[in-house]
Amino acid sequence: MRATFPHLLHLDVALGILYPSLGIEIVPPPPITQKTIEIGVKFAPQNACFPLKVTLGNFIEAIERGADTIFMVGGVGPCRFGYYGQIQRIILEDLGYRVQFVLLDHPRYGVRSFLSALRAMTGGRLFLPEIVRVARLSFAVLRFTEELEAHRRALRCQVKDPQELDRVIDGTIEALRRVKTLRELEALKTSTLEKLDALPRNGRKDFLKVGIVGEVYIAQETRVNFNVEKLLGDLGVYVHNSVSTVEYILHTFRPLTRSREKLEAWELAKPYLKRFVGGEGIDSVGSTIRYAREGFDGVVHLYPFTCMPEIVAKGVLQAVSRDFDLPVLHLAIDEHSGEAGLVTRVEAFVDVLERRKQEKKRGLKRNGSLSRS
Amino acid sequence: MDLFLGVDVGSVTTKFVLMDREKRILASCYLRTSGDPIAALKEGLRYIEHRMPQGGVIRGVGTTGSARHLAGVIVGADIVKNEITAHAIAAITRVPDVRTVFEIGGQDSKLIIIRNGVVEDFAMNTVCAAGTGSFLEHQAVRLNVPIEEFGKLALQARQSVRIAGRCTVFAESDMIHKQQLGFGKAEIVKGLCEALVRNFINNLASGREIEDPIVFQGGVAANQGMVQAFRDFFGGKKRIIVPPEHGVMGAWGAAILAMEYAPQETAFQGFSVVERNFKSQSFICTDCPNTCEIVVLKEDDRVKALWGSRCGKWTPETATVRFEEEGETLSSLASYPECSTERCAMHG
Repeated sequence: MRATFPHLLHLDVALGILYPSLGIEIVPPPPITQKTIEIGVKFAPQNACFPLKVTLGNFIEAIERGADTIFMVGGVGPCRFGYYGQIQRIILEDLGYRVQFVLLDHPRYGVRSFLSALRAMTGGRLFLPEIVRVARLSFAVLRFTEELEAHRRALRCQVKDPQELDRVIDGTIEALRRVKTLRELEALKTSTLEKLDALPRNGRKDFLKVGIVGEVYIAQETRVNFNVEKLLGDLGVYVHNSVSTVEYILHTFRPLTRSREKLEAWELAKPYLKRFVGGEGIDSVGSTIRYAREGFDGVVHLYPFTCMPEIVAKGVLQAVSRDFDLPVLHLAIDEHSGEAGLVTRVEAFVDVLERRKQEKKRGLKRNGSLSRS
Repeated sequence: MDLFLGVDVGSVTTKFVLMDREKRILASCYLRTSGDPIAALKEGLRYIEHRMPQGGVIRGVGTTGSARHLAGVIVGADIVKNEITAHAIAAITRVPDVRTVFEIGGQDSKLIIIRNGVVEDFAMNTVCAAGTGSFLEHQAVRLNVPIEEFGKLALQARQSVRIAGRCTVFAESDMIHKQQLGFGKAEIVKGLCEALVRNFINNLASGREIEDPIVFQGGVAANQGMVQAFRDFFGGKKRIIVPPEHGVMGAWGAAILAMEYAPQETAFQGFSVVERNFKSQSFICTDCPNTCEIVVLKEDDRVKALWGSRCGKWTPETATVRFEEEGETLSSLASYPECSTERCAMHG
């Protein structure tokens, strides 16, 4: 068996540790490029959402490199994601690729199929202590890649040389692929954080703060969302991303696991959206409210064009934006998105936030002098 | 006398504004970009040079528009700003209590919401040409009406005809259908203007409150048929202002921004840049499957600026080395990329 899986930011780093230890040979898809997107767009239904197309491109590129088994997660719910695996399996069959498709669904939709998928994904050795150890390590690695990206977003506007920041973080992510134990991981964490602390700062303190909310794939995968977070960082903005694969996994397999972050966001969203609308719809609303409370200057909402849950969230966010006086920029992404238009909108959004901030400062001063007189 | 230059290089037209410290426009011009922004920039600079007043000195330059970075490098800009900010600044300067800006240009349209002189929200249509000047121009060609006469013709219509305006392709077939039903040109032109207004409101204003005064600007604001169609849409209840300088608002905004942000020493390259030999080229980098289209601005054989490198390996320095190694074989394309929308009949 030569297994492959879809890319999602640094998921391949964690799975690259997990699978070989289980005795499963893996063929990771090559990095997402324009070619991946073109392949996916060519063979996917035109109306399918963008993540389906890109992950289909991943699969085909991996099969061309020798993969014969695909690991994919499924789901049931208002979001079309639940069907991805099935549709992709049929498309690959129609194209004449002979691959085995292993779909992992939540156990509540069938304990037996869950266990058999899990068994296939763990090389048949489901309950060995070694598996528990490796699974914990891979999960810790995944969590650390997300911490690294959080540092990258927060520090880009604060360091003198953003390219040096990228070199430190990208270097650590490469080093993570060779980590064998939790102890090694801890050592790498410590040394990386020291390096990040040592990066010369530009001394800026009054930067704008922007939060990112949206659909789990588009909001995270910088190779398809035109790297909006880097664009913002280069404009001098402190960025935080509320979307996380770790939290997504913890939440998906509830109640076996739970994501405190997500539950908190759902609670915050309640006055606006009580019902599960699929995908990350509620999270987008809840996280935006959290950003408003934490004093962020604006929110960027990223989602695939035609994404139903996020379109519901978009409607609700207009009320949230008004009530909390927090500007929200909605960006729908698909293969037809033009970079120039996106850059223009992000730049204009940052100008809006900057001018609002200045106005507020001026307003405060004015009020201050009034109260004294 | 201290003067400021604003340059707006759009996909269809290029605009220049020469402004003094009181934000008064001393000279302006409106040219066709015709797919060659460098030639348009030179032509505009020549025009402005001839209209420089005695003792005038350029103290700051601002550029905007889709080719703002290219223009910034060639002319030497102190500030390079997006079109939304530039248009909003000009509208606020012209009409201080403005609350909404409609801007319809050649290939995109914008709606800007302004409260207390600050941009509060905006929407921009960049996906489809239905709802932009290109749409009207395309249909004017079909109807064999000069675009300058288009607006006047619409005002002559005694009744209007409803045309589906969501997509240019559908609009075209619907228009032919209405012609075959026997409607006259004037009615059809009026119908097209109304379709464009509906399209603009549906696409950009969704959920946003349109408050007046509204400033209507951009090239399409010259079209009286469009102004009337907007008035009719709001039932004559909203105040719509078309400023006399509606065509060059972006360039004016860029000049105002240049004055606000101008450093001690301007980066302006002087009017002599028209004598210099610039060339914009592009090549596809095939080092990885990303196949980035790298756009290179050359002065003589020196690479002056470069755009489009996703991984960051391409800089003017590395490109110069590569050009020297491989000669001119890399310069496979010479046009400036504008549109990647393949399913659209107008763009494709």
